[in-house]
Amino acid sequence: MRTVECAVVGGGPAGLAAARTAARYGVRVLLVDENAELGGQYYRQMPAGFRTLAPGAVGKETLDGRRLIDEIRALPIEVQLDSVVWGIFDQRILAVSTRDGTERIEAGTLVLAPGAYDRPVPFPGWTLPGVVTAGGAQNLMKAYRVLPGHRVLIAGSGPLLLVVAHYLLSGGADVVAIAEAAPLRGLWRYAHRMLPHLNFVQQGYRYRREIQQAGVPFLPGHVIRRALGKDAVTGAVIGPCDDRWRPRPGSEREFNVDAVVVGYGFVSSSELSRLCGAAHRYEPALGGWVPVRSRDLETTVPGVFAAGDGAGVAGSAVALAEGHYAGLNVARRLGRLTGRAYAREANRARGRLLHLAGFRRVMDELYRFGPGIYMLADDATTLCRCEEITVGMATAAIRDGASHVNEVKAWTRAGMGRCQGRMCGPALAHLVAGATDSSVEDAGVFSPRPPLKPVPLEVLAHEIT
Amino acid sequence: MTRVRGTGDLRMLDGVERGRRVQILVDGEAVEAYEGECLAAALLASGRRATRWTTRTGEPRGYFCGMGICHDCLVRVEGHGNVRACMTAVSGGLRVERQRDMVERRIDA
Repeated sequence: MRTVECAVVGGGPAGLAAARTAARYGVRVLLVDENAELGGQYYRQMPAGFRTLAPGAVGKETLDGRRLIDEIRALPIEVQLDSVVWGIFDQRILAVSTRDGTERIEAGTLVLAPGAYDRPVPFPGWTLPGVVTAGGAQNLMKAYRVLPGHRVLIAGSGPLLLVVAHYLLSGGADVVAIAEAAPLRGLWRYAHRMLPHLNFVQQGYRYRREIQQAGVPFLPGHVIRRALGKDAVTGAVIGPCDDRWRPRPGSEREFNVDAVVVGYGFVSSSELSRLCGAAHRYEPALGGWVPVRSRDLETTVPGVFAAGDGAGVAGSAVALAEGHYAGLNVARRLGRLTGRAYAREANRARGRLLHLAGFRRVMDELYRFGPGIYMLADDATTLCRCEEITVGMATAAIRDGASHVNEVKAWTRAGMGRCQGRMCGPALAHLVAGATDSSVEDAGVFSPRPPLKPVPLEVLAHEIT
Repeated sequence: MTRVRGTGDLRMLDGVERGRRVQILVDGEAVEAYEGECLAAALLASGRRATRWTTRTGEPRGYFCGMGICHDCLVRVEGHGNVRACMTAVSGGLRVERQRDMVERRIDA
């Protein structure tokens, strides 16, 4: 086992910022990421060997990400890619696997920046090939320049839908409609609170105008009802919903499509922080179960910090600011930044976070998550994609007395598959809560178990020998 | 470059030069792909939207989360076993098998 002063898990905005700041104060940082290149989802880069021929051919996020990654590469930071942190033992010992082997790394301080993933929402037909998440569609287009389909319906909630539409349209796809679940009424009421954040507003306005010019219907208060098809998606139906995103009777519209992009917000990837024993709380607006943190972004496990969407979904700007602040606190913890110098930097970082929080609150109100979205599924709808457990099978287990997601897991195998319950967990908690008349919080969350991602047996065997 | 919206190649025809053009084998058929792009993108662009058929009901699945979480795009790659197509880079000569015979292989079917 080797020892590092500071390990940062996750190479997206939060992890990059944390590693950069800590390294600038002389902390020896190991930065680990599962992907072949740094950047995470937001800053996703094209593969090595792909080249931009014209300025403007790649998005601003990609360019901003490139600059940050180049800065990281110029600092004495050890970057370990293609590496999965599949476990945390004794609070700060990481189990890290590559394709060829696995090793244990003891981290003096730890910054967890695992990010978030699209909230999985079961609806009839959601397992058909061609139904993809908003994040998945973005990766396909940003990194590989491949469209998810030619005729695409976008359904979900939040500004990301507009960004996806922008990418689809510039790639030459036909966007048949955007079904935005949020009602988006009375936008003018937010005007004064948005004034300090004009750059975000302008960006949003540009996307809306582009969509309008392309003749794409933008429909607030609408949700996907079902995806149609046999071997792959061939159609999709949308319909109106109420303010809690509950489907309500009204005229349905069917579209011929070969792809459906679904993005109903995000879920924090809090598996690592939960596995290391940190306390968590349930915050629907922040993406579910998130680690409890001090003002300095330290979890309840000393020396373990959490930053970015993995500690509460708030977007890339907040992730950058939190990562930087976590980096400062790591430097202080290791004695590299003290006294007035720390206070000055920390105050500035906290000011930035406070500024961004104002924007975040408006977004949360505008696109407030509606649990009614989980009512799209019927008994025959797949809940657990890995083990092929339907909503009906889970409901039967709840009727038989299961009152916690872990009980449903033990009785039906929902959540026991390769994704470790990341796909079915959030929906199952709502199902349990609804059927037992309890809270989503009481319905609980799957206990995280190593390996957090599948590790080949030969890799594990290698560690034992 | 102009194109008719909603038709043609799924690969975008914009100002980006892709990696080296290579050939991979998918279920024994030759497929053109670009070095470095993920297998899932190459399969999709070749018109193969399903990456596997499930063990219990045999229903098709494909690229879904696109970030290594859902594991629905698992394919078999010679020499590497089961891998996520969204997290695996294309290189020339890769032999890929989509999982479609797992239903018969079930022990407790």
